[in-house]
Amino acid sequence: MASAQVQFEAKVSKQKLGVNERLRVDFEMNQDGDNFNPPDFANFTVVGGPNQSVSNSWINGVRTYKKTYSYFLAPKSRGNFTISQASITIEGETYKTTPIKIEVTAAVEVPKDPNDPNYLAAENIHLVAEVSKTNPYLNEAITVVYKLYVSPRISVTNYSEIDSPRYNDFWSQNIDTQGQKVENGTFNGEDYRYVVLRKTVLYPQKTGKLDIEPLSLNIDMRVPTNRRDIFGSILMTRVTRTVSAGNKTINVKPLPEVGKPLDFTGAVGDFKFDVNASKTELDATESLQLKVNVRGNGNLKLFKLPKVSLPSSLEVYEPEHNESVNTNLSGMQGSISDSYTIVPQYKGKYPIPSISFSYFDLKTETYKRLSSNEIIINVLNGPNSNDASEGNSTSSINKQAVVFNNEQFAFIKTKTTFSSIKQNYFFKTNLFWSLLLLPFLAIPLAILIRNKKASRDADVYGNRIRKANRLARKYLTNAKKSLGKKEAFYIALEKALHNYLKAKLHIETSDLSKDIINNLLKEKQVNNQVISDFISILESCELARYTPIDSVTMQEDYDKAAKTISLIDKQAK
Amino acid sequence: MKHLLYIILFLLSFSAFAQNQALFERANALYNEGKYAEAIDAYNTILETGNHSADLYFNMANAHYKLNHIGPSIYFYEKALQLTPDDADINNNIAYARNMTIDAIDVIPDVGFAKLIKNITNKLSFDVWAKASVFLVFCFVVLFLIYYFTYSTIKKRVTFISSLTALVLVCITLALAFHRYSLDKNDNPAIVFAQESKVKSDPNNRSEESFRLHEGTKVQVLQTYNNWKKIRLSDGKTGWVLSQDIKLLNDI
Repeated sequence: MASAQVQFEAKVSKQKLGVNERLRVDFEMNQDGDNFNPPDFANFTVVGGPNQSVSNSWINGVRTYKKTYSYFLAPKSRGNFTISQASITIEGETYKTTPIKIEVTAAVEVPKDPNDPNYLAAENIHLVAEVSKTNPYLNEAITVVYKLYVSPRISVTNYSEIDSPRYNDFWSQNIDTQGQKVENGTFNGEDYRYVVLRKTVLYPQKTGKLDIEPLSLNIDMRVPTNRRDIFGSILMTRVTRTVSAGNKTINVKPLPEVGKPLDFTGAVGDFKFDVNASKTELDATESLQLKVNVRGNGNLKLFKLPKVSLPSSLEVYEPEHNESVNTNLSGMQGSISDSYTIVPQYKGKYPIPSISFSYFDLKTETYKRLSSNEIIINVLNGPNSNDASEGNSTSSINKQAVVFNNEQFAFIKTKTTFSSIKQNYFFKTNLFWSLLLLPFLAIPLAILIRNKKASRDADVYGNRIRKANRLARKYLTNAKKSLGKKEAFYIALEKALHNYLKAKLHIETSDLSKDIINNLLKEKQVNNQVISDFISILESCELARYTPIDSVTMQEDYDKAAKTISLIDKQAK
Repeated sequence: MKHLLYIILFLLSFSAFAQNQALFERANALYNEGKYAEAIDAYNTILETGNHSADLYFNMANAHYKLNHIGPSIYFYEKALQLTPDDADINNNIAYARNMTIDAIDVIPDVGFAKLIKNITNKLSFDVWAKASVFLVFCFVVLFLIYYFTYSTIKKRVTFISSLTALVLVCITLALAFHRYSLDKNDNPAIVFAQESKVKSDPNNRSEESFRLHEGTKVQVLQTYNNWKKIRLSDGKTGWVLSQDIKLLNDI
């Protein structure tokens, strides 16, 4: 049979109309049915209809059947109305259309001459710029699509751009729209054909209100007139018209300052970041590639990749910048990378610190930071950096010398002696100052002592007196103490004299008699006068025990004894 | 009673000493097994007892180097070098550690007379210079007194000249001691511990960034202001850096 699918649908000429305009509603079915039941057009006045039309055609043996009921409606008032369901019975089953919403606006101006070609051209051709977002962030991708809507009633024969827009303060890229197809769409609720003239991706580079300049086209077209030829078909007239898309204003928001990383370089979008080294173990003077790579979706061409900071002992060349970026309506996609060539010169381990890259994520509207892992490059063989200064590397490539590698990383030390961390310093202590300065005092002191000694030695008389005094002090102290007490004084005095003789002449007390004393003193070449004086003192000592003696005599005897002792001392050889 | 106390104290100190030796050996064993972090902990316990040695610092630095800690590794090598500046092993390994650092800083070399003076001054510590000068003072005094009291002409001549020489030497050693002391006092090196440290022109966050330093770089600390330290690099550049970014070698 014919098509199995039964279709029954309602179509309106426009969904939005002024209160002074009219509307046409068609109910179409593709199989004949009975009991057509139109909706009650509650808010409309049925101006014409129902008109019924049937078309039946066979093409290549396939039958196409269409039956249409048409109504012309005039709205009764302003507002939003619904044309409710119509129903029909086809082969015993009831089919219904979907309700259609109609918006009735205020009265529209009806031109004086609706058949004026220029008026028709203006009404039936529209150039529209569609902007994906009117308040983007700085560096957020937006798209502008220019569409030319043409009503089915007129036909375009030619068009040319007379003014192509310049996007000041935007980074822009046109997307190729070659081979564009005419598509069907609606414009203001009416059926139109449209063609996409131009697609542009824009990245705003400035904040604030930015204007997108309009696109202007010169269009040649043919519009129907109210005249007809003799066959009854409508005569067309040729019209040239300039249309332009309106000036669009974009309000660009600045990126938030809150939480903005210091190393933010303006990347906005959604990215992945990684750092790779082509190898991590190698010999000196071999090269390796370090690749800093950012992949994702965003303003890839509009920011700088973070720089790699490398140990100074690695030789690094200027990075090679690679971009593989596709731009489509959703913005730039792809990856950009910096490739560093690194040649280590010396043996050792070289850490490449982690590099971080921060960007503004549009989805969460926050800043995000991605960090790479730390890479450690281990240079296994090569010269030690210590002898870099000597550095005459006579590299004999053909022959490999067998060299004892004595420039290894040294092992730990296994023996030690500990000392206290707290140290006591000697310098600038009091001990230091005294040890430094006091020896100098020794010099004047020694000189002074020597001078004194010399002057004493020079003073002969004084010396004698001092000597006598010393002797007297030595032997006569007891006697002097008991001066005044007769008995005790003379006993002490005698004892003192005997002691003196014992010390001086080395004789024992037992054999001490006056004759022996006399002889001994004479042997010692002591003056006779002195000897007799000494003897007389001894005698007076004995005598004094039995005779009364006053204190004056005692003093005299004492002085005499002292004098005699000193004289003997001086004269005795 | 007092003697007993002294003996006990002596034994105690000896036992602490023996403990440190045992710890040191245990830490060395850990290092040899590749357990560097544990070895560092053990070395640290020795440091906490208030004892140190160049070998201890050297071993700690080696362990940090094996763990790729640039800053601590350089720090302890420098500590070891402070105690024994001419050790070949330390100088060898610090070169490896310096390879890991990022900053390349030129050293302005001393030339001529200044270099000579510096070399001589750095031969001995200021304490040794001070002791030498004290010894020479005694020499001078003894010789001078001999000169003064002696009568023979030859002896007088010899002692006079030698005593004057001793006096001159006293002045020289004393001057060197003071010079070394001032050098040591002004020498306040520090190692950058932060991975990247911004050096500012003034001690506040608002000021302009002068340059950047990376972990392991040795700097001289000139002065301190609040939480900032004024530093000088070996090529003469100066700037202010946050205190926590660097670690002083002389913890006084």
